[in-house]
Amino acid sequence: MSINRRQFMKGAFAAGMAGTATMLGSGNAFSAVHDPVGEAQADFFKKFKGNVVLLPSKYGGYVQAMDLSVPETLAWYSYGLHGIDMPIPHHIASMPSADPYKGFDFYQTMQPPAAPYVNENSPEWRNRGDFKMFKMRYDGSGKQNSITVVNDISATTGMALGVHVSIGVGENANKYVAFADGQKDMVLITTIDDNPKIVKAFRADYDPIARQLNISHVFPDATTGKFDYVGRKGMKTSHEAMLGEELMPADPTAVFVDAFTWHPTLPFGAILIRRLGCCAIIDTRTWEVVALLSTAKGSPDNFPLVKQSGFTWTFAVPSVLTPLHEAGFITSGDYFVACNNVLQNNIAVYRSTDENPNKWKKETFVEGFGTKYLPLHMGNVPDSRFVFFTMWARKPNNGYICKVDAKTWKVVAKWDTGPDPHTCDCTVDGKYMTTVYSGHQAGQSGLVVINVDNDKIEARLPCPGGMHDHVVVPESWEGLKYSRSTSV
Amino acid sequence: MEIRARENRMSGRIKSTCALMSLAGMLALPAGTVLADSKDGTFPTAEEVGGQVYIEPIGVGKKLPLDFDTYDMNGAKVDLAKEIQGKRSMVVFFISAVPVSVQELVKIENFARSNGKGINVVFVNADTVGAALQGGPKMAIPNTVKTMHVIKKEQKLQTNQMYVAPNDALSGSGVSNRLGFRGLPTSFVVDAQGVVEKVFVGPQNWKKGDI
Repeated sequence: MSINRRQFMKGAFAAGMAGTATMLGSGNAFSAVHDPVGEAQADFFKKFKGNVVLLPSKYGGYVQAMDLSVPETLAWYSYGLHGIDMPIPHHIASMPSADPYKGFDFYQTMQPPAAPYVNENSPEWRNRGDFKMFKMRYDGSGKQNSITVVNDISATTGMALGVHVSIGVGENANKYVAFADGQKDMVLITTIDDNPKIVKAFRADYDPIARQLNISHVFPDATTGKFDYVGRKGMKTSHEAMLGEELMPADPTAVFVDAFTWHPTLPFGAILIRRLGCCAIIDTRTWEVVALLSTAKGSPDNFPLVKQSGFTWTFAVPSVLTPLHEAGFITSGDYFVACNNVLQNNIAVYRSTDENPNKWKKETFVEGFGTKYLPLHMGNVPDSRFVFFTMWARKPNNGYICKVDAKTWKVVAKWDTGPDPHTCDCTVDGKYMTTVYSGHQAGQSGLVVINVDNDKIEARLPCPGGMHDHVVVPESWEGLKYSRSTSV
Repeated sequence: MEIRARENRMSGRIKSTCALMSLAGMLALPAGTVLADSKDGTFPTAEEVGGQVYIEPIGVGKKLPLDFDTYDMNGAKVDLAKEIQGKRSMVVFFISAVPVSVQELVKIENFARSNGKGINVVFVNADTVGAALQGGPKMAIPNTVKTMHVIKKEQKLQTNQMYVAPNDALSGSGVSNRLGFRGLPTSFVVDAQGVVEKVFVGPQNWKKGDI
């Protein structure tokens, strides 16, 4: 049964306070998950049942959990409540949940507000916002849904990173979560418990004179057990590089580390290094750096290790033919794909089944994007038939989403979903691809749902907060393989 | 000392013209940003920006091109080549978004004062700050000039020879692509004719004889 406000008021007057109390207790309109039966759009949206979408609003400063099958916001949380002035919720990943309506945990990173949007060097702005990583919890078990902070992981570990977060799968399932940041060029791996423990941390620095990349383990202070990288400490640049800013002058050592993506079947992960067009492959059993893939067309499959000295691995990077942005594994783990962009706009496709990553070879490239559209994010489907990619563009172009056949590695469908498109993430049943566009943090923004098989745009929902990222809560650890883990 | 004399001349000129210039400059100047929306949104090919991400700076013996748009601390357009004409100079490119390059400025100023043999030092911010949600491109130069004044005050810099050079890193004619730098600070020591004598990439442990 559902009632509208007019019916409620009419009922209240007629039945008196006792009657009102009775209606409040029985009406589904007041339950923590709304049942839209009888509403005009109910039949249309019910096909999305089981999909709860997390949408962080970058310049809005909040995160919301949305039930795609009503659709309605189940709960939302403003990070200003945590005491952050001008919070910028950036990237997000969700732990699996068999019943996301009842509850689930998720991770949220945060970075300070910055260029190109504001003058982050001005006294009015330079101390606003913060680098943060939070473990968050959605609780839908009662009458009032809620989102709360479980742990401020940046405070717990002493390392604050503000870009991608990804959760381990396969051999690393139910163990680890990884955070990365391109202003500090660091990656942190922690355990996934409510009071997370530091597992390993990495730092990347380029030597432009020697043309070598150093990747080092970073250790917490032995007395405190924490790092000394909270807030802006360790920052090489005061803003995260926009697409194209890989060519911009920066700290000479800056390489713009972006994410850590997890192999779904083998014990490996990849540190994505934008400015060098490289991905460092990490053995997650030992956390040693075992290979440095060079993803550009025309470059070797990998760059050689020059030396290992203690906990620093030095690789020769004699030339960088193009930067990259995101890179990750398809759900099966058979391929590692890398979004080369800015100077080369193509997608490198490595076979990634060999247990020695130095033997991973580029088999082909997805091409034909011209010089206006930059491969950016990727989205997986459960059966690895397709990979979806965001093709970002700067004004006056919108950019678009494309579907690539993972057998032929050809683009088979395209959608202009709106200006400033960002992440793609699959629904739990694998039938739909969700994607957000953010209107450059000020204009048109929304969530679009695409039918994976027939290519129809099924729905478009407003997201009035410049959604730069989003994630569908996966239903299992297997489901996490096509969520924010293997790819970003 | 040449640096001090130069600063005094600049200071007097700035005081006399500051009010007029700052208003005119801040309201009327065009502004470039690193990711300015191009006419059709095209990104460059590798060939258009030097062939790859990391390119070599203008080398020793080459004339340092300084004919790009430059603005002074009042937001007024200036000719940087004229500003250093006839003087052996050290042209230091930095960027306000990179802490290590800002911190290097005071090191360079102090070193040049004690070991620079009268070299003329100029600091050039090779970018404009973000303004997309703060008035848009027209505010890029005024906001950058504001930041430059903050840097000068906080770093206790004596010089007034601080400039802004808007840089479109995605254009072959952008400052960083023409001069060939990706890491900042990058400092060019040039002779009185503007020919490069030495290039320093990144922060340095400055020692006698370097400049």
